[in-house]
Amino acid sequence: MDKEFTTISIPTSLYKKIEESIRGTEISSVSSYIAKVVQEALSKAEAEPDVFNKEDEEKIKERLKALGYID
Amino acid sequence: MSEIRQKPKRKVLIIGLDSAPAEIVIDRRDEFPVLRSLIEGGWHGTMRSSDPPITIPAWMVMTTGKDAGRLGLYGFRHRTGYSYDKMWIATAQAFKERAIWDVIGDHGGQSCLVSIPPSYPPRKVPGHLISCFLTPDSQKEYTYPAGLRPELESRFGPYLFDVVFRTEDREAILKEIYDMTAKRFEVIHYLMTTKPWDLFMFVEIGVDRVQHAFWKYMDTAHHLYEPGNKYENVILDYYRYLDRKIGDLLAAAGDETIVLVISDHGAKRMKGAFCINDWLIEEGDLVLKETPKRGASIEKTAIDWPKTRIWGWGGYYARLFLNVEGREPQGVIRPADYESERDRLIERLKAIRGPRGETWETRVIKPNEYFDEVRGDYPDLMVYFDDLFWRSAGTLGYGTKYLLENDTGPDDAVHAQEGMYIFHDPKERRSRRKEIDILDVAPTVLQAMGLPVPSDMKGRIFTAAEAPGIA
Repeated sequence: MDKEFTTISIPTSLYKKIEESIRGTEISSVSSYIAKVVQEALSKAEAEPDVFNKEDEEKIKERLKALGYID
Repeated sequence: MSEIRQKPKRKVLIIGLDSAPAEIVIDRRDEFPVLRSLIEGGWHGTMRSSDPPITIPAWMVMTTGKDAGRLGLYGFRHRTGYSYDKMWIATAQAFKERAIWDVIGDHGGQSCLVSIPPSYPPRKVPGHLISCFLTPDSQKEYTYPAGLRPELESRFGPYLFDVVFRTEDREAILKEIYDMTAKRFEVIHYLMTTKPWDLFMFVEIGVDRVQHAFWKYMDTAHHLYEPGNKYENVILDYYRYLDRKIGDLLAAAGDETIVLVISDHGAKRMKGAFCINDWLIEEGDLVLKETPKRGASIEKTAIDWPKTRIWGWGGYYARLFLNVEGREPQGVIRPADYESERDRLIERLKAIRGPRGETWETRVIKPNEYFDEVRGDYPDLMVYFDDLFWRSAGTLGYGTKYLLENDTGPDDAVHAQEGMYIFHDPKERRSRRKEIDILDVAPTVLQAMGLPVPSDMKGRIFTAAEAPGIA
């Protein structure tokens, strides 16, 4: 875990919303909540995504058929 | 590395017009003032596309300088190994070779890459990227870096990747094409004026779509052409519109920028679709367990594999597969007979004539011999019926081998092997006509930017050798 921290600004209304949603949970602060969520989002984006789910693949296949590329 | 790396010396703008033929862009230049001025001050002519001349792999052959065999990509879909029914769709992840933007990045340069097929899912590039029409929808992540997407959407709304093509409603298709193109040019103009770039490249897929949907209304030689029809000028009007849009971009690109306008392959009238699997049934090579319904797909038809020797796939070209013992799950052709079977099949394919008995210029390629190196899931044969004038229908059960219209939707045009290019260097204004190969593009662009050309790029630098100028 990094020991160095920096400060970012978010709208107060958002801060209050997050504060509300973590009250009574083991998440100790709004800062640690945001760090955790953003970290998760970034790792998801960085991982080689599973390109198409089944539905996407069917959509693309139908599109390629309609376009004449596959037949 | 100890060497001091040369930074890009010049900026290059590559305007990709998917499917644009020289017969329109070059031969009718008088109708397009912006393109004409580029032609009159630059290299131009036909560009021989890749084999196969299909959007995938053609744009990647162009930008990596490596042929389809080396890339291991032969179209949008591929068989998974030697399976009968498993297939995969080629996406950006299927391309492992380095492209010109990787080389530019090595030298500290930046690229802006917009909708170059295939670029979904978006990958990390030195610069900025928007993915292509393989993106399932605009709810997906479609930019690199990811933050570019909200930046663009807050200004322009969701990006438009393609048009819906399964409709006979030509008015609707045309409106969608214009909406898509208008938005793309807005986005491009924004990126061009706000992001750093040494290479800016985009592909306008609308050219391909407008041609497929409206070719028969324009081409007097098309068998479905009707004189005086209301869509007669649709394609040329779209090119005129593009010409104006390109003019706006050139003003934003800067006076010293080298401009390359280029297609991935050409287009020409579709004469019809040849039903490859119905032909194979007639020849006794393909045996079914049931009588297929008209237009049934080969994947969903019960095939008697132990009696089947050959089957095919359709598209703008045909892919044929031999059912080989020990290779396919229920193979019947003995490996020792593979070459003689394949040669006999080539002879039979080349002897196929048109519906009125006319001879065809059919080209057949053995991928494993044609390419210096052959990777991936390649077919046993690649077939261009009548020099691509006849597409291949993989669907079957038509009761005829010849369909005069596409079996899968409105489609009046097929691909042509020859595409077009215009290479305009404002520091060297001179009109020169020269035929080039798609493999020549990557080394020529790198050289123009003052960067070294990787030794595994096969093409030649077409601007290096002097050609007789034909103004």
